[in-house]
Amino acid sequence: MSEPLILAIESSCDETGIALVEGGRRIHANVVASQVAMHAATGGIVPEVAARAHLRWIVPVLDEAWAASGARWEDVAAIAVTYGPGLAGSLLVGINFAKALAWVHDKPLVGVNHLEGHIYAAWLLDLEAPDAPDLPFPLVALVVSGGHTFLVEMRDHLTYRLLGQTVDDAAGEAFDKVGRLLGLGYPGGPAIMAAAAGAVRHDAVFPRAWLGDTFDFSFSGLKTAARRIVDAARRDAGLGDDAAAPLPGDVTAELAWGFQDSVVDVLATKTLRAAREVGARAIVVGGGVAANGVLRDRIARGAEGLGVPLIVPRPALCTDNGAMIGAAGARRFAAGELARFDLDARPSLPLAPR
Amino acid sequence: MTAPRHDGRNRAILALDTATSRVVIAVGSIDGAPLGVSYRLAEHRHGDHLLPAIGRVMGEANVRRSRVEAIVVGTGPGAFTGLRVGIATAKGVAHGLGRPLIGVATSEALIEAAAAATGAAPATILLLLPAGPSDRTVCRLGEPPRLLRAGTEPDVTPDDVLVAVDLDGRAPADATARGAAALDGIGEQLLRLGAERFAAGGEDMLATLVPEYVTLPRGITASSGEVAWSSDRR
Ligand SMILES: [Zn+2]
Repeated sequence: MSEPLILAIESSCDETGIALVEGGRRIHANVVASQVAMHAATGGIVPEVAARAHLRWIVPVLDEAWAASGARWEDVAAIAVTYGPGLAGSLLVGINFAKALAWVHDKPLVGVNHLEGHIYAAWLLDLEAPDAPDLPFPLVALVVSGGHTFLVEMRDHLTYRLLGQTVDDAAGEAFDKVGRLLGLGYPGGPAIMAAAAGAVRHDAVFPRAWLGDTFDFSFSGLKTAARRIVDAARRDAGLGDDAAAPLPGDVTAELAWGFQDSVVDVLATKTLRAAREVGARAIVVGGGVAANGVLRDRIARGAEGLGVPLIVPRPALCTDNGAMIGAAGARRFAAGELARFDLDARPSLPLAPR
Repeated sequence: MTAPRHDGRNRAILALDTATSRVVIAVGSIDGAPLGVSYRLAEHRHGDHLLPAIGRVMGEANVRRSRVEAIVVGTGPGAFTGLRVGIATAKGVAHGLGRPLIGVATSEALIEAAAAATGAAPATILLLLPAGPSDRTVCRLGEPPRLLRAGTEPDVTPDDVLVAVDLDGRAPADATARGAAALDGIGEQLLRLGAERFAAGGEDMLATLVPEYVTLPRGITASSGEVAWSSDRR
């Protein structure tokens, strides 16, 4: 092991993730137990159930990561753990498990901001991938998920200037709600993208909240509009009050496309404008919604026009995982930022003060 | 000069409970005899200094980590936050030490402790625990705990001994007095019950142990098997 190996633990929401990452970049193991299927039954996350599932799966996930990496405890330089933002009960499971491991093995403990993890996923490299240079600063990072939507400028490692954020719902939340509205199920993101791919006419128009020339986002109006548009489509299809009757497939596809087009348009336009304004030398996109191929393609075209590279981790590294916490944790560790045993969950931890 | 009866060379058990208003840390010999027990008010911050406190209790009992043969943890029912902190900590310690984790229901330890303190037979004890701000949980030895909604009272027969833990003002005074005595004995009982199970070759619950919940949100079952795995290092 030529560079420090970090054992990283993520349990802020509904995935239990444990990874071993070398030098903040190289993934030796990255195991995730996802509760998405479990929460699909309730149409969303029930915090009580999520915390219990973290407790149930955290040891098997660690064992699996350990076996996959072939690492020994002597190789581990530090233990990194997400301490916020997220669900308090879920965070506590990872934090206290990490503390106990650090205590028994006499390893330093590093607290990591989950949002920082989503950004640092851009630095991750698979074990067999060729070496890659450090990303150039300044860069602009868009993080967009079921819980978060924000845009930051980074002029150096661990240094953030918040450019804008959602003033109401996260983009991923809007995907979930509209997915349900269209009868596409939970989680909404992948379902809407799949349905939208079948659209032919591309004529559904959903509103866009530009919020002037700020870099802030708003998706609650879009959600309300979506309900109105879907209701109108149901009337047009003669479905009346029969809530159980599904819309025709082609109509669902057009509406899914129109909704996705609106979200992608706002996210991509603001990200590209931010990159231009700060003179970014790279653009990073992270978070679960970054797995959306249409968003990725749209920002990629704009980035090409600006002549800057776009880094979007592969989907498994966009959704919550331990490797991204290892990437950010390695930077915090290198900066000498160690946590103590009183490390506590911070459910509303911000990334950067405005 | 005689050697101390228990020192770092002897095999030991570490027990932990965070389901009540107190953080309980107990270290005992392999047969469950207490070597050191610490009770601290949890004050809703169970996690803050749990590990340093464990280290202190072990140090005072002259028990080195390498001599701990098993970890015992109270599984509730009790406060959600406390249970998560306690069980996550116990799992990390057990995994780190490479030792088995033995779960003991906090209610069972409390019933045994109340029996020891009052002289009543454990089977006659009816244990009441808080369940949120207004509900309570009823526990009897050998029965699953039941939720008692606010305003309802448990069925108490003349032979029953009512023991109320952490319920000052929400249960009869003699029952809460017995509850306080039970709390004082929980560490010893965790050690004793844990040692019994360990000696009997009880199952290592490190990978699977979850807290005992009496209530779950509407429409939710206690099944926790539905997770999707991904292990990727492509
Ligand atoms: Zn996330």
